[in-house]
Amino acid sequence: MRKFLLLLIPALLSCPAVAQEGPGAQISLAFARPAFDALVEAADHAETTIGSLCEAPSQPALDAARDAFGGLVTTWGRASVLRFGPLAANNRFERLFFWPDPRGTTLKQVQGLLVEENEAATTAASLADGSVARQGLPALEVVLFGAGAEELTATGGGFRCRLGHAIAATIEDVAQDVLAGWAPSQPFAQSFIAPDGSSAPYRSASEVKGEIIKALTTVFQFVHAAELRPALGEKPDKARGKRAPFWRSDLTFELVVAQLQGARDLLEQAGFTEALPKDHRWIADSILFELNTALGALRSIDIPPEHAFEDQNARGKINLADLAVEHAGQQVSEQLAGALGLSMGFNALDGD
Amino acid sequence: MVTDPVRSRGALIDRRTFLALAGAASLAPPSAAAEKDTLLFLGARLNKGGFEVVVVDERGRDRLVLPVEARGHSFAIDAPRRRAVAFGRSPGRYAVTFNVDGCGDPLAIAPPGNRHFFGHGVFTPDGRLMLSTENDFNGARGVIGIYDVQAGFERIGEFASGGVEPHEAVLSRDGRTLCIANGGILTHPDYERLKLNLDTMKPTLAYIDIATGEIVEQVSLAPELHQLSIRHLATDRTGTVWFGCQHQGQATERPPLVGRHRRGREPELFPGPSDALRAFDNYVGSMSVDASGDIVATSSPRGGLVAFWDCATGRFLGQQAIPDGCGVAPLGSGKVLATSGRGAVASMSPAAEVMLVEPDQSKPAWDNHLRVFV
Repeated sequence: MRKFLLLLIPALLSCPAVAQEGPGAQISLAFARPAFDALVEAADHAETTIGSLCEAPSQPALDAARDAFGGLVTTWGRASVLRFGPLAANNRFERLFFWPDPRGTTLKQVQGLLVEENEAATTAASLADGSVARQGLPALEVVLFGAGAEELTATGGGFRCRLGHAIAATIEDVAQDVLAGWAPSQPFAQSFIAPDGSSAPYRSASEVKGEIIKALTTVFQFVHAAELRPALGEKPDKARGKRAPFWRSDLTFELVVAQLQGARDLLEQAGFTEALPKDHRWIADSILFELNTALGALRSIDIPPEHAFEDQNARGKINLADLAVEHAGQQVSEQLAGALGLSMGFNALDGD
Repeated sequence: MVTDPVRSRGALIDRRTFLALAGAASLAPPSAAAEKDTLLFLGARLNKGGFEVVVVDERGRDRLVLPVEARGHSFAIDAPRRRAVAFGRSPGRYAVTFNVDGCGDPLAIAPPGNRHFFGHGVFTPDGRLMLSTENDFNGARGVIGIYDVQAGFERIGEFASGGVEPHEAVLSRDGRTLCIANGGILTHPDYERLKLNLDTMKPTLAYIDIATGEIVEQVSLAPELHQLSIRHLATDRTGTVWFGCQHQGQATERPPLVGRHRRGREPELFPGPSDALRAFDNYVGSMSVDASGDIVATSSPRGGLVAFWDCATGRFLGQQAIPDGCGVAPLGSGKVLATSGRGAVASMSPAAEVMLVEPDQSKPAWDNHLRVFV
């Protein structure tokens, strides 16, 4: 599969020059393809590392697999910002990251697989045909960091390790499919890069800009409503760090930081600041200020997410980040879209 | 600014809400006779960072402004008694009933702690009960809350809506059959408005006898359309239900979004011209019949358009542009009043559009729904 991807690069370079306007070409070339290529690489590295752990279980091998998982999560955080097109098709986002999961479906399903020890479940093809909850990053986290994960360092942990290996392989397959969808030869990518009156799904640069605006509001809403706010709870005594994504692996804040950095880069690479009338450039500056505020607050948290949401000091930082992200989302939908001349208002962006 | 909360029927309501009516009453015309000549419309708006529900006349001029604590959505209307209920948008934690002429105090209505409003509701024709679409979020099912109007809108019970996420509901002409659009999208207020079941959602159209709570008829679309959320409803002159959908699947799929259901038959879908269908961008935001009930109007804020359909045949009659337009309500025969998130108010027919209030970013932004007060 990797060889196929390498072949895409000459294809890209030989792509005929077409009249391109709008942000699609820049985002496709400088953001989307590198982000999903990195995701494939990170998944491939995780699969290889877990394979080595299965062949020779040891603490160093488990540590290496967990490190690889950490790299995979942060790589995913950046790529996840592009939740449209190939990533939205065929439930791929949910297959990579089944979240939120208020009923703990992933934990129940992975625990069920570990109890059953049905070898048929340890193939990527078998996982891909089943529930989305058992084939993505949260499922792999349960395998590598959940209760009983220490058995991965012993020879008796064979089934658990093979299951983790299969999940990593599934993640790589899905990431490959997303990357392939962004290949310049694909109708989606052609339409995103150089939309015209007959292309699909985008027919104009405005529609591409609108998609990017929606992607930004989507990630801000997701960080706020799915990742930070449920764990914060309304009051400190309602805080539950175990409702945050990747609390087991201590990667909650790394994930959110990667998502917000991705959103910031997407905003900058879309060229929206330059596209704004001069007297409206404060809007982009204001959004960037909010994102930088959130990033600074999250980076300064130095205790694990399991406890951070109820710790007074860390909680204050998370609350600040959460409010900044929510405000950034409001600025995008209420100010930026209109200032860019897009006909998207709060009905179009957040209807019911 | 006065911000003392006032407790009313178990709900907290900002004192400004009460004071607003006194101030707004001065906007009303001096004589009751003049009021009767003016068609009134109800809508929700975002105005300078604050949320409000408003009564306007048929030229879009404010008659009553009621500040509310969060984004509003739609209304239950009891025109004979000059009363309406404004619902907070999903996950709605407030509703407020008020007299459209500004007489008397508004009254806050709160759902139980384990329910929230979806934003739509109806009164029974005798004005004794108000029914609202609600989320039993821990049970992952939809319910219809029953409120006793005479008892100060006390919630006296509920019945199952026949599916997940009952969004809009309309009462049939018989006054006892409630038609409910169960949108099918599972949400939980802990996760605000995030959609939790897009891979398994199953929208339905359910008819319920409100005297018994029994489902008397329920229909679904074809299995391959399980991600086509049935959300908005309008009833035409013959009593036939029209429904508007939002597609939750891939953007490259373009299923029909407008349908008609006659009792005892299968639902019918009308795609219209491919360019119009594409312009809708898989999203119907609101729908309404005209005053004659022979034409149905469907809006798409994503596409910035309102499209018109012939109720007898399902034929596409034409479309008008209105960026971020969503609210539509009957204005006259063949005409609707339409509102937009850009502050515009327009009179529209399949053949013509007259802008009554020009769009302007500084003007109040109209939210999803507009209702005529009849």
